[in-house]
Amino acid sequence: MSRTPDLAVRIGPLRLKNPVLTASGTFGYGDEYAHVLDPKRLGAVITKTVTLKPRAGNPPARIAETAGGMLTSIGLENVGLERFRREKLPKLRALSATVVASLGGETPRELARLLEALGGEPGIGGFEINFSCPNVARGGAIYWAHARRLERTLAMLRPLTRAALIAKLSPDVTAIAELARGCEQGGADAVTAVNTFVGMAVDIGGGRSRLGRATGGLSGPAIKPLALARCHEVVRAVSIPVLGSGGIMNGRDALEFIAVGATAVQVGTASFIRPRAAAQVVEEMARLLAERGIRRIEAWRGCLEPAASPAPAAGRRA
Amino acid sequence: MSRRERARPARGGYRPARIPVATAAAPPALAKTAWRQAEARVTLHRDAGAGHRWLELAMPRAFPLPGAGQFVQLLLEAPAPVLLPRPMSVALVRRAAAGPVLGFLYAPVGDGTRALAALDVDDRVLVLGPLGRGFPLEVEGVPVLIAGGRGVAPLLFAAETLERQGRRCEFLFGARDAAHLVALAETRRRLDRMGGRLHLATDDGSRGVHGTVLELLDRIAPHLPAPRVIHACGPHPMLAAIARWGLRHSVPTFLAMESIMACGTGVCRGCPLPRSESERRRLSRARAPLPSLYGNPEFAMCCTDGPVFAAHALDWERLG
Repeated sequence: MSRTPDLAVRIGPLRLKNPVLTASGTFGYGDEYAHVLDPKRLGAVITKTVTLKPRAGNPPARIAETAGGMLTSIGLENVGLERFRREKLPKLRALSATVVASLGGETPRELARLLEALGGEPGIGGFEINFSCPNVARGGAIYWAHARRLERTLAMLRPLTRAALIAKLSPDVTAIAELARGCEQGGADAVTAVNTFVGMAVDIGGGRSRLGRATGGLSGPAIKPLALARCHEVVRAVSIPVLGSGGIMNGRDALEFIAVGATAVQVGTASFIRPRAAAQVVEEMARLLAERGIRRIEAWRGCLEPAASPAPAAGRRA
Repeated sequence: MSRRERARPARGGYRPARIPVATAAAPPALAKTAWRQAEARVTLHRDAGAGHRWLELAMPRAFPLPGAGQFVQLLLEAPAPVLLPRPMSVALVRRAAAGPVLGFLYAPVGDGTRALAALDVDDRVLVLGPLGRGFPLEVEGVPVLIAGGRGVAPLLFAAETLERQGRRCEFLFGARDAAHLVALAETRRRLDRMGGRLHLATDDGSRGVHGTVLELLDRIAPHLPAPRVIHACGPHPMLAAIARWGLRHSVPTFLAMESIMACGTGVCRGCPLPRSESERRRLSRARAPLPSLYGNPEFAMCCTDGPVFAAHALDWERLG
């Protein structure tokens, strides 16, 4: 018998009708794809990262396709806080979907100023702090790859909003588990694992990088096994929810991340290829669970453990 | 960003720049229909000479009709050797009872286009479109269409749209040699039918005028009555030269640009083209409505601000 399974999940104070979110930077501000995909059907829409000042982004070329993936070097192009609040926020509210605003800053102080401005705005259900952009000179993944810095920053941000606070981490670190624990101790409601992997591609004809900058962030199916392992590592390190991200193209991929313990998943690059991808992930996930007679997504979550996992179950959820 | 933006109350949301048409500053026409992604069937796929292929796709009836200069993203069904769809300029729109047929002229040069080249009649392709802003064919003047190589394709489509407005075009077509005048026979046939005049140039002199299309333009332009308007498509160095010519002679000039793209819809911000100094200044003024989804004075996005741009809009020193 195949009833529609209950896909609802909780991320801190935020209740999502299903565990599928759009990854930051791959779904605009929610309205660009609205005529082909009603954002209300998704767990939440995560916006393009907003910074205090507008950013022009990196010079061309910003995209290079590689085997099973794509390198991007966008450089956090965005309209900045003022225009976001004036022009984008009203549109986001009009979607009546759950919205998570992605915030980026070069210092803890910058993030605090963003959250002071937006933390109490109605219509934003959560904030994902982008601690992991691989393509900016300052305030990117390397700057934020310190557990103490993340902990102190989140402790500073925590009192500024009652909405969900999510920390997005880079996979290019020595011990992602430590960073995730720092975020948890600082007061984050959830951790996203992971942002893109730093990668390169060379044009041997011209003898130069295929991107305007030397490196970019790799996304797409090529990184899914890598991202899944990082997600697994983070799940075992913290007791707060983990949002799995990296190469999720369909419902099957999403269920893999949830099997290793992710509470929810983010769909990114897939939306560039099929704008309805995130909704298709929800539909496929529901169908696959129903086929297996699973009625609640919670019953699937973490089903991999403990049999496949030799590590101590520190911080595992019940 | 050099200028700080001042906060202003939102007034009725977000609008493209309003500049009177028929001036050199006229922005290319906005895409009026929203894009969608639909499955299409290959109805014709044949060799077009000079290493090019001609592809025709039958679209579902509800698919919005693209305008000249607009493009679509072609995505092969899995398993495909490439991940991302390939942007392709529309060369032909034919209305049929079952739904529109779209035509494309392309060269299989990379992994994606080589995979496309393997498509057979009745194979399926996902088509996302119509995308971008096409040629602003409402701009007044004698239409001078300038094609380099396979840039001929969208311009033939433009010529046919102009003909329906009762306007005949001067069609300048150039390539490095006679063999690279892609689809020349078809170009001649379609232009003859609509009464357009074809002028040829080759770098080696093997066909038409010995020289570039720019030299051809220099020869022909004095014989054309003002006002004139130029629409061009071809390699970027050629477009840069034509853009400078148009700016120098105060002739409204519109260029169809290319870029590597991922999404094609403005979301990924992956296809930036540098804007001109004057355009950056104009857009940096707080009251100027920014033209694309995210808005940014430094770079235009080829996919949504273009692919057709007015000559004054881009920084040709950084492009040509």
